[in-house]
Order: sequence, then C-alpha cells, then structure tokens
Amino acid sequence: MSKSAGPLDDAGIEIDGVGKTFRWRNKGVAEEVVALGKVDFTVRSNEFLAVIGPSGCGKTTLLRTVAGLIKPDRGEIRVGGRPVTGPGEDRAVVFQHFGLFPWKTVVDNVKFPLRMRGVPDKEAAATARANLKKVGLEGFERSYPHQLSGGMQQRVGLARALATDARILLMDEPFGAIDAQTREFMQEQLMKLWDENKKTVVFVTHDLDEAVSLADRILVLSRRPSRVRAVVDVDLPRPRWDYDVRSEPAFAEARRTIWEMLRSDLVEEEEGAGIHAI
Amino acid sequence: MRSERFSPRAALGRAAPHLAFAVVFFGAWELYGRSDDAQLPAVSAVATAMADMTADGSLPSALGSSMQLLVIGFLSAAVAGFVGGVLLGRYRPLDRTLMPFLSALYAVPTVALVPLVLVWLGFGLSGRVTVVFLSCYFPIMMNVYAGVRDTPPELIEVSRSFLVRSEFGLLRTVVIPAAVPFIMSGLRLGIGLGVVGMAVAEVYLRLGGIGALIAAYGATFRLDYLFAAIIPLPLLGLLLTKLFTLIERRADAWRAG
Repeated sequence: MSKSAGPLDDAGIEIDGVGKTFRWRNKGVAEEVVALGKVDFTVRSNEFLAVIGPSGCGKTTLLRTVAGLIKPDRGEIRVGGRPVTGPGEDRAVVFQHFGLFPWKTVVDNVKFPLRMRGVPDKEAAATARANLKKVGLEGFERSYPHQLSGGMQQRVGLARALATDARILLMDEPFGAIDAQTREFMQEQLMKLWDENKKTVVFVTHDLDEAVSLADRILVLSRRPSRVRAVVDVDLPRPRWDYDVRSEPAFAEARRTIWEMLRSDLVEEEEGAGIHAI
Repeated sequence: MRSERFSPRAALGRAAPHLAFAVVFFGAWELYGRSDDAQLPAVSAVATAMADMTADGSLPSALGSSMQLLVIGFLSAAVAGFVGGVLLGRYRPLDRTLMPFLSALYAVPTVALVPLVLVWLGFGLSGRVTVVFLSCYFPIMMNVYAGVRDTPPELIEVSRSFLVRSEFGLLRTVVIPAAVPFIMSGLRLGIGLGVVGMAVAEVYLRLGGIGALIAAYGATFRLDYLFAAIIPLPLLGLLLTKLFTLIERRADAWRAG
C-alpha cells in the first residue's frame, strides 16, 4: 500500500464539497432528489478504494461525477490538482452493464478508446491484444460480445479500461451483473492485475464482502442526501489473491464495523419512512 | 448460419413450396387463357410477347430508362431520408415541431401528389424523380428516425467516457452504428415502394420506360403485351428487396440469434 502519495500526486482525486441534485418534471410537477449532499474526501494515489452505502445513496452518481460524465451542482473534483471538467485521458471507466459495442468485435471494442486518443490502428491493435491476453481472453479477439458469457464480457470491459493506461480506474459495480462464482474469480483476477500494475481504483459496490476483500480503504456513504459516513481501513496483507482473505479476523472485523453502520441507516430509514420522503 | 455449405438439394427443398405453387398457378392460368371466352392471355402468349419485346429492344431499353429513374430517385431519398431521420431523431425541438406534419404527409398516397408535382415541376425528369423520391423517402426516414431514437443511452455514456466529445463523434461512434438494422430495413422497404413510384411516375406523369409500354399496350387492349410489360415490375421489386435483405444480413452479423 503506497501511503506516501499526497493529494497533488498525479493519480490522487480530491472530492471537494461535491453535491448533486437531480431535477425533472413529472406530469408538469417539478420533482427533485438530492443524490449527493456534500461529499468531502480525498482518494490517495494508487490506493484501492471501495465505495459502499445503502442502496440509492448516490455511489454511482459520485463515480460518474469523478468520471466527468455528469457535472456536480456544488463543489469541485480535482484529479492531480486539476479540476475535472469532463472525461479525461487520466481516467477509464468499467461499467456495470459492461458497455461493449455489440457491433464491434472484442478486439475492436478494446481498441476503441485508443483510436479515440489518436493511437494508430496497428499500435492500438497490438495494445488491445496484449490487454486481452492479460485478462485471459486470448483467442476471442474476433468474437462478438453476444457470443461471450457475462464474465467474459466484463473482462473485455476491463481490458478496454486497462488498455488506455489511465492511472485511475473507475469501476461502477463491475461485477454486480455476474453470477456469484464467476464474480469471486473476477475479484481474484482483478487483485492480480492490480498487484502487477498499481493504479488508483475507485470501486463502487453494494457487496460488503467484495468491498472488504478488495480494498485498502472503504468509503462508507450515508443514505440520501449522502455524505461521508465513515472511512474504514482494511488491514489485510497483500497480495490478497494467494490466501483466503475471508477467513482472516481483520476481514470479519472490518465487515462488522461497516455492517453496523449500514444496518443503523437501514433501521433509521424504516423508522423515518414517510417523514423524510420527498 | 455462415458455416452452412450451399447444397443444391437443400436449396431445391427450400424452393419446393414456391415452385409447386408456381406450377399450379401458371398451369391454371395457361389452361384458362387457352379457353375461348378468356379475359386473360395465356402464359405462353405473354412469354411470346416478352420474347418479341426483348428481341426488338423495346423492353430492355424501357427497363434501362426506368432503372435510371429508380436509381436517381431512390439514392436521393436514401440520402435525404438518412439526414432527415438523424436530425429528427436526435433533436427534440425539431422532432416536436415537424413530426406531426411529416406523419400526416406520410399518410398521403403518392399518387394523390402526382398532380401537384406535375403543376410544380412539370413533365421533366425532376418531376418523375420527385415522385420516386416521395415514394421511398418516408419509409427510409421513419426507420432511420426510429433507429436513432432507439440508441442505448448507456452506450452514449461509454463513448463519452472514452473521450468522444462532439455530437458528430457520438453520431459516428454510437448513434449510427446502433441504428444500422433500422436503416437497412428502411432501405429495403424504400426500394420496394420506389418500384411502385417509378411505375406511377411513368404512367401518370410522362410516358417513358416501362410505364410507357404499360400505358400503350393498355390503351390498345393488347393484353399479352400488357402483361409482358407489367411482369418485370414485381420481378424487379422482388430482386431488389432480396438484394437488400442479403446486405441487411451482412450488416447484422453481430446480432444475436
């Protein structure tokens, strides 16, 4: 774990008082929901950060603002000290829905971000192949996404993000749509890849076990309008893929701490139902 | 499936129902045509007429000039339909303003517009091309529109996240590729209606091509020659539609199933 890096290091992310309110009209009536209240947090360079919170708490919204896909209404996000105004070369996103272009072959999907960055075709193809090999998809270059299983599709999504060589990987519940056994295997693969090539990872998940087994730190968000509820350090040795992380006492401890928080939020929500509803 | 080899026997097997129908249908037609009080020329008489018109060059040259009209009208409708469909599908204000009128226009039969075209554009090529254009434009435009409206928003987001910033970039990387199946079926419908428009233009606007043959033989009640002039139209429609189905299948290789 590299704790030395300060917020001004290239791959650090400063989330500075960020808030987001979604507004829309429903049959002529203005409605709104405050997705993010005011989030202050700094992601260290090269750390693996998991973001967890009650469902609908705005985890994905937070990730999308960091990705530059939506603009916050309040506050600012800085990457390497520079304000985020939109998507950038320093960040790559892995989507829950995989986000593969169904009309492109596997290799063309992985080439896509490189071509958009102006990398020549041959070079992009070579990089794409190398990254597909990394995720164990050698031989599937010419397949179309629909011919692959969910787990394999997400490995293409991962290879595409890795191929950009962005220093920050933004993962939005990447294994949420994958069956349980494949998911565990994917987590193991992700740990190996991350050990080989350290990047700043922001990993949004609603799966507590997943968060604890992968992350250095876990950012726990409160329910809407979300704020930082707590930051929990996970004190488990790395590399984590060559032993059973889940049987460690530190795993159980971190898990319990976070579960208590999530649980109390759930209880409050049940009791407050109808009072705090917008 | 691609991997399937072409086998003459299998092809014959697939074609068997059509062939059987053709034999029964044309056989019955031939028998009726040979009877004394027939209102129809026998198939053999139609075939003779067709051979005659081919030999004297009138059918091929008519077909050639009709095809020219069809190609110009269809291609201009394809370009305009594509542009119109993309603009209407992608820009809400334009959609809201124009769509009701376009839908209304879509419902007007092209034949009903022929007199207008005649008044505005006269008998020349531009008038005839306009009739063909009007026949193919709407199915193409409406399909492109539906395809563009159907773009998965999450793929737009993927494209944006990988640094596609301009509207043109989004059209090129997501919106248009995602709409390809719709675009292809629009073109397929368009070409079929284009053949109809072509005949309408040639019969009602200015006699020329196949339309002129139909009108001339119709006026002189030479039914065998009339049929020989009509038959190329459905054949042409069938052939072109089939061609577009093949291209469509090519373009859709990535789709599941």
